[in-house]
Amino acid sequence: MRTEHMNYDLMDYVTNRLTEQERKRVEKHLQNCVQCTAHYNELKATDTVLKQSHSAGPTHVYYATILPRVRERLVSRRRSVWDYSNNPAKIILPLAVSALLLIFLIRIPTDSYSDSAQADALHQAVKDFNEDEVVLAIEKEYAGAAFFPNLEVAASGVAEHLQGDKFLKSAVSKQIENEEIAEMDIEGMISDLNAEQVDQVLSGLSERNRI
Amino acid sequence: MTGSSDLELVELFQKGNEASFNELVRRYQEKIYWIAHRFVSDHDKADDIVQEVFIKVYSALKQFRGESSVYTWLYRITVNVALNALRKQRIRDFIRIDEFFETADDVNEQPDAIFEKNEQQKLIEEAITKLPDKQKAVFILRYHEELPYEEISQILKTSIGGLKANYFHAAKKIGDYIHRAHRTHEL
Repeated sequence: MRTEHMNYDLMDYVTNRLTEQERKRVEKHLQNCVQCTAHYNELKATDTVLKQSHSAGPTHVYYATILPRVRERLVSRRRSVWDYSNNPAKIILPLAVSALLLIFLIRIPTDSYSDSAQADALHQAVKDFNEDEVVLAIEKEYAGAAFFPNLEVAASGVAEHLQGDKFLKSAVSKQIENEEIAEMDIEGMISDLNAEQVDQVLSGLSERNRI
Repeated sequence: MTGSSDLELVELFQKGNEASFNELVRRYQEKIYWIAHRFVSDHDKADDIVQEVFIKVYSALKQFRGESSVYTWLYRITVNVALNALRKQRIRDFIRIDEFFETADDVNEQPDAIFEKNEQQKLIEEAITKLPDKQKAVFILRYHEELPYEEISQILKTSIGGLKANYFHAAKKIGDYIHRAHRTHEL
């Protein structure tokens, strides 16, 4: 008959966090299972080491500073949101790019395009995510009435930019090129990303490093 | 206000009583500090996490609907902020090590660190640092915080079976790491 091992209950057994019934079940199993007994001995030794170790925490003076500093940061965040909403440049540029793309999507027939150098430039700019060049290339496209074959790529590039992760990647690359690292800037940029976006950036940077 | 339950404090805050937030901070700051510290093993980083957690809590308190207990909700925010901090740290380390800095020196030890760590403590912290994020979170919440699996399951959105497996593997890895370090020291 196959015996079910009880590895996953052993740490709770060691730390005495099982119910009476569970504890008896584990003890009975340990009498007949060499493998689980070996695990038990290891975990028991680990628990002993963990219990012996000690680090003294901060004093009450530190804890007394937490609330005032949280309050201070809340006030300063509110102020910066206010500043942001009063700075039209920060809002107008992304809106303008989005509006231009929208105009394209509405006005340009999807089956009509040219293989012009401008289209290539736009494609490349989106690929490299150079914001200035994206805007310039879109403006040129618009003025020349030439059509961009991969408009969806541009749209998704800009959309990703607006979410922040591509922008971070680009900014990090630029900083690396310039051999200047402004940690605080990067921190600020990534502070609004969620865990998944941070992972994307991390894997992006890994890829870049491989190249 | 000190006699009010967590939920009563939240309700008071939702009605515009700002002081109830202060009481929540005072009530949980030490707990949250220790969870954060166990994730990052560094006072300053733990302090940053504590600040960030309470700022997020303040912003989200109005939307709290009591679907879990207040402390489960606080722990969930703390774990998320701590894991995010670790990920960001990895990005910074990646840039530093690969592009600019010769070696990553012991950045964790601040001159004004409040902690006095013995060697054994450092070893344990290193072992926990090396765990995968999920195992790290489970180990901290189960071993140190002594939370029931049902609550950890709510915090980490993982099945109880998965949590038990993670807990076992985390404890095994910590033990193996300490054992290896002791053997190396003896040789």
